[in-house]
Amino acid sequence: MRSQRVAAIENYMDAGAPSWSSVGAQSITMIPAPLPMQPNPYIQKSWKNRPYGLANQLFVACVHDGRRAAFRLRWHSASKTLAQGEDFPDGVAIALPVRGDPPLILMGTPDEPIHILLWQAGLPEPRSLLATGIGSSRSGPSVGASVHAHWADGRWALVVTRDLSSGVDIAPLEAGGATRVGFALWNGANKERAGIKAVSGDWTTLTLDR
Amino acid sequence: MSKHQVAMVMDLNKCLGCHTCSIACKRLWTRREGMDAMWWNSVNTMPGQGTPRNWEGMGGGFDSSGQPIPGHLPTYAEFGEAWEFEHEKVFFGGNPDATLLPLGDDPSWGPNWDEDVGAGEYPNSYYFYLPRICNHCTHPACMEACPRKAIIKRDEDGIVILNEDHCRGFRFCQEACPYKKIYFNTASRVSQKCIFCLPRIEKGVATACSRQCPGRVRFVGYLDDPEGPIHQLVYKYGVALPLHAEFGTEPNVFYVPPLSPPKFDENGIEVPGLRIPIEYLESLFGPKVKIALSTIEREMQRKRSGGTSDLMDLLISRRWLDMFKPFDKHPKDSTDVQPVKFFARGERK
Repeated sequence: MRSQRVAAIENYMDAGAPSWSSVGAQSITMIPAPLPMQPNPYIQKSWKNRPYGLANQLFVACVHDGRRAAFRLRWHSASKTLAQGEDFPDGVAIALPVRGDPPLILMGTPDEPIHILLWQAGLPEPRSLLATGIGSSRSGPSVGASVHAHWADGRWALVVTRDLSSGVDIAPLEAGGATRVGFALWNGANKERAGIKAVSGDWTTLTLDR
Repeated sequence: MSKHQVAMVMDLNKCLGCHTCSIACKRLWTRREGMDAMWWNSVNTMPGQGTPRNWEGMGGGFDSSGQPIPGHLPTYAEFGEAWEFEHEKVFFGGNPDATLLPLGDDPSWGPNWDEDVGAGEYPNSYYFYLPRICNHCTHPACMEACPRKAIIKRDEDGIVILNEDHCRGFRFCQEACPYKKIYFNTASRVSQKCIFCLPRIEKGVATACSRQCPGRVRFVGYLDDPEGPIHQLVYKYGVALPLHAEFGTEPNVFYVPPLSPPKFDENGIEVPGLRIPIEYLESLFGPKVKIALSTIEREMQRKRSGGTSDLMDLLISRRWLDMFKPFDKHPKDSTDVQPVKFFARGERK
């Protein structure tokens, strides 16, 4: 995946902005997070024979302007479910390795954490989380993240932005650099949450234009 | 395994369904945003559907081989929503004859909807009141269902506590608890439940529900203290029994089962037999309920005939503070008491 360098990120803050039409999107294949990898027998038993993680394609495009990066994410979601009342919200997460070679499917290890930007429908800001393994995520460092989300005609379209930065516990994003990126999706109407989600099976390489 | 286990015994022969316990808990713990419909302590008429409605059929817990059983996620409609009333109009509307009326549509369920309905046919209808809290189980299904380990069982006292900083509101705990005693706060988006008045217990003060009970229904103490009333009622005399032990979680709240009022024929003449069917009591408290009831009756008879009975002295509870040893401090007398500070989410670093 390539993060194209553009002049001003302000032109890309809205998923419907015309500037995006000249940016190529990549289709990421998503699979249900494996049931045997759910962290306890209760979840494994209660989701056996229940379909989840069926959104099998996530379209991702990425740009940066040397200061901030923007990810445009689009996927099919027949319903729109917000974090309100008793509902489980629709959500998407962008994962980046902080250091070393963390396994994406394990959500990192204590020595090789992953950084997660988590968006949940209805909440104004995405959350910055640091994970050192399944079930371990805690509040992560500030990366100046913001989101603009829109649902229409059975599809979510989002732009998630964060600073190009590096530092302790910050997953590095730098002009001219390369890293890897992973994704997760939750369908709230299907009561998906925690590890009951669709995931990109493995990292996708992300190179940022100089 | 916890070093100690705090436990509670409730004598159902004394509960008059006044709900002072529920209000004590509500005033102390569940007055905050998003907690309107929460009743960490609830009292329901049995037989009855209780709260959440038909909780006994909602699954959760463990099967006989120790495997978790998937459970239903209860809704606020099933728990019973908090009803809104025209308080503003009554207090400030300027009409001295105004009466308190509900706002909105007529409800079709509430947390105590089937109060006093009970079961049976006149003149032998029957019911009793069953107060319930989180059972702070030895084998908590909620703890094992949480993928983030946001629920722990404390080593020092066995209290099962939910860490709201780690909770993400996934609510597997709500599904897994077979007693359906966990709630979800739709404002803060975390799950919440009875904490066994942990800040009071730590200072030697009994739980609010227990101290406020006017009927002296509730004993609080360490299950593992052989001198204490809990241990004696549960193990020595065998009159305090777990509720739905077949759920497999080893609850630490026990019940002294209710004796029945007399049974009558159609002419109003007393006839022998238990008015509360023994099968119903066995379905709640297990096969030992028969022996428990006959033990109580035997000891009552002993006292009536002029004899002595340690068990009856325990249950009669003439000395109120003996019911809570060693948690017999008054809230205002426990040392260095600070008001409990409630943090907004994310406020505590």
